[in-house]
Amino acid sequence: MLVPLSYTLRSLFVRRSATLLTIVGVGATVAVLAGVLALRAGFTTLFAQNGREDVAVFLRDGATSEGESGLTRETCDRLIKTLPQIARGDGPEGAPLGAMECYLAVRRPKADGSGETNVPFRGIERASIALRGDEFRIAEGRSLEFGADEVIVGRKLKNRIADCQLGDVVQVNTVPFKVVGIFECDGPFESEIWGDFERISVALQRPVASRVVALLAPGATGDGFAAFATMLKEGADYKDLKVVVKTERAYLTDLTNAVGTVLLALSVGLSVIMGIAAVFTATNTMLSAVASRTHEIGILLSIGFRPLPVFLSFVLEALLLGLVGGVVGCLLALPINGIETGTTNWATFTEVAFAFRVTPGVMASALQFSLLLGLLGGAIPAWKAARLAPTVALRRR
Amino acid sequence: MVSLKLVRRYLLRHKVRSLLTVGSLVVALFLLCLLQSLVVALDAGVRNAKRNRLVVQSAVSLFVDLPVAYQQKIAAVEGVQHICKWQWFGGRYGDDPMAFAQFGVDMEVMDRLYPEVVIVEGSYVDVMADRRGCVIGKSLAQRHGLKLGDTIPLIGTIFPGPNGAAWEFIVRAIYEPANTAVDPGTMFFRWDYLDESVKAMTGESPGTGTYFLRTAPGADQVAVAAAIEKLFENGPQRVTSSTEAEFNAQFVSMMGNVPFFVSAIGTGVLIAIVLACINTMLLAFREQQHDAGIAKALGFTDGSVAGLMLAQSLLLCGLGGFSGLLLSKLLEPAMRALLGSQFPGYEVTNQTLLLGALVTLAIGLAAGLVPTLRARSLRVVDALRSVE
Repeated sequence: MLVPLSYTLRSLFVRRSATLLTIVGVGATVAVLAGVLALRAGFTTLFAQNGREDVAVFLRDGATSEGESGLTRETCDRLIKTLPQIARGDGPEGAPLGAMECYLAVRRPKADGSGETNVPFRGIERASIALRGDEFRIAEGRSLEFGADEVIVGRKLKNRIADCQLGDVVQVNTVPFKVVGIFECDGPFESEIWGDFERISVALQRPVASRVVALLAPGATGDGFAAFATMLKEGADYKDLKVVVKTERAYLTDLTNAVGTVLLALSVGLSVIMGIAAVFTATNTMLSAVASRTHEIGILLSIGFRPLPVFLSFVLEALLLGLVGGVVGCLLALPINGIETGTTNWATFTEVAFAFRVTPGVMASALQFSLLLGLLGGAIPAWKAARLAPTVALRRR
Repeated sequence: MVSLKLVRRYLLRHKVRSLLTVGSLVVALFLLCLLQSLVVALDAGVRNAKRNRLVVQSAVSLFVDLPVAYQQKIAAVEGVQHICKWQWFGGRYGDDPMAFAQFGVDMEVMDRLYPEVVIVEGSYVDVMADRRGCVIGKSLAQRHGLKLGDTIPLIGTIFPGPNGAAWEFIVRAIYEPANTAVDPGTMFFRWDYLDESVKAMTGESPGTGTYFLRTAPGADQVAVAAAIEKLFENGPQRVTSSTEAEFNAQFVSMMGNVPFFVSAIGTGVLIAIVLACINTMLLAFREQQHDAGIAKALGFTDGSVAGLMLAQSLLLCGLGGFSGLLLSKLLEPAMRALLGSQFPGYEVTNQTLLLGALVTLAIGLAAGLVPTLRARSLRVVDALRSVE
C-alpha cells in the first residue's frame, strides 16, 4: 500500500519555511538555466528557422560566410543568366530572380553611446527584394531608389545604432548615404543596412560581390537540390567557377552552429555547477525532513507500510519540491521573453539583434532539470528513511 | 564569550548537513570567481595594451583592406618608429573553421614591435630564412602537437590556395606571451609570402587589414594618430588610427551585453546560495532552541547565546567560501587551458578573490541574521518547552 499523497503534501506545508527556501533556491537555479536556454533559442530560431529552403546562396568554394567569400561580376552574371535552376519573374520575358550582393561588416557607433559595433552593410539588386516576396515590408518611409546614394535600415537597428533613423545620413568611406526607409524582414536581415550594390561598390571601391542569392525554380528545390549542387561543383559547364551553393536555411544554420554550441556548452556547464549546489540544498532539506519525522516514519512502518512505499513517499516529496521550484524558475524567467538584445556572431563578425525566447521547449527542459534536482536531492534521505528499523524510529521522540 | 569548541561540536553534530552546505558554498564561490574572471579576461587586451602602439585600420570596416602603398606614407609621419602589416588569413585547419587565428605580418619588424611575443624555440632568423616559415604560440603547439619543422596545412577561406589546394606553412619558431594580453595560440607568417602567392594567382596584392605602429619615445600619440587620419581624409580609403587599448576595446564592445548576462547569472547563483545557507541555519536553530534555553538558564548571556549562532554561520560559510576561492585559484591554469584561445586573459586576480571574500562574509552574516536575533530574544521558558 502506498503512503497517502495528502501526508506528503501536509508535511511540505508544516515545514513551510524550509520548503519555501528550497523552492526559491531551486527556482533561482532553474531560472538561470532557462535564461541561457532562452538566449540560445532566440539566437538559433532567428537564423535557422527563418532561412528559406527555396532560396539558394552561392559562395566561393571554401568560404563559409559572406564575409570570406568573393565572386567576380562575370561569375555572378554567368550564374544568374545561365542557370535554368533559378526562377524567373512574372511574364514571358521575366528577369531571373537572382541578385549579386556585397556584404561588409561596417563599424558603427551604438545609439546609446556605449562603444562601437559591426553592422552588416549589404549591397543589393532589385531581385534581392523581389525574391523575398511578402516577407519584405517597408515599415516607415519608402524603399530605396536604385542608382541613388540611399539606404534602407532594418527595423531592429533603428534604435540600437546611431544615425539609423529616417532622414539620417550614414557615411560610408567618403560617400554619404541617406536613410530613406525602415524595413521589416523575418530573420537576421532585420539587423542589416541595405543599399544599391553598384553605389556601395563605388563607395567602398570594392567591385566584388560576396554572394549570389536566387529563388530556386520549382524543379531545383527539395530532392532536386542535391543534384543541382553536385552539378555546380563537378559538372563540366560550371566547374571552372569554383562556386558552392547551399539553401539559405543550410547557410544560416552553418553560421549559427558555433555560437549555438558555445551557448549550449555555457548552459550545460552552468546547470551542472549550479545543479550541484541546488542538489546539496535539496538533500539538506529532505534530510532534516526525515530527521524530524523519524517518529512518524516509525509509526508508518509499524502499522504495515513497507519500506518501498515509505521510500517512494519521500522521493515524491522531493520531486514535488523540485517541480514547484521549477515552476517558480520558469515564472521568474518568463519576463525576459521578448526582450531584445544583441551580440556578435563571430562567424560573420557582425552584431545581430535578437530576442530571448522562452519557448515551450525551453520550459520543458527547465522543468525536467528541476525534477532531476529533486530526485537527486531526495534519493539519499528517502533511502535513509526506508531503511529505519521501526523499533528504533519509534523510540525517538 | 563564544566557545569555539561548542561551535565546532554543533557543526559536527550534523556532519552531512554541514558538509553539504559547505559543498554548495564551495561550488557557488568557485562559480562566482569563474564568472568574474571571465569578465576580467574580456578586458585583458585593453588593460595590458602597450601604450606606444597605434593601430591604423579602415574607417569603414575592419574587413576593408588598406592599400599597401599606405605603408610608406604612414612610416614617414613624424613620431612613427616602426610599422608592420597585419593581414587576417582566416584559414581552416582540419575540420575546425575557428581553430586558431592566423596573421600575415612583416616578420622583420615583429621583434621590435612586439617584445611581449617572446620566442622560446627557433628564432625570427629561421623564419626569415624560409619563405613559408611561421611563428606559432606555445599553447597552439601543444594543442595540436606541433613542433619545429612541422608543416601546417591551411585551407584558405579568404585566399584560396594554389589550385584550390591547402596552403602550407612550416613552423620555424615558437613563442610564449610575456603577458595575458597576447593570445598564446596565434600563428604569424610572412606577409611577403602571401603577397607573392596571391599576386601569382590573381595579379592583385592581398593588401592588409591593419597596420600596427610603434611610436618613437616621447611622441605625442594623439598628434600622430590625427596626422595619419588626415593623410587619407579624401580617400581612396579613409582610415582611423587608435591606441592599441582602443583597438582592443572595440572587440569587447562587440560582445554586447555579455558582461551584463554574466552578472545576472552571478546574481542568480548568489540568491540560490544565500537561501540554502539560511535554510541550514534555520534548521540548526530549530534543533538548538532547547539547548539555548538550557544555556540561558545556566547563566549564559543573551549575547553569548546569539554569538554562538552567528559564529556557526560565519564558520560554516567561511569554510565553504574560502575553499571555493582556493579552488578557483588552484584551477586557474586548468581553466585557462580549457577555455583556450577564447579567453587567453583568464586570470583570477586579487580583486576577484577579495570580492569573493566579501561575498562570503556577507552570506555568513545574512544566513546567521534571523537565527541569531531569535536566539538573542529567546525566552528561557519558551525554549525549554520547545521540542525538536
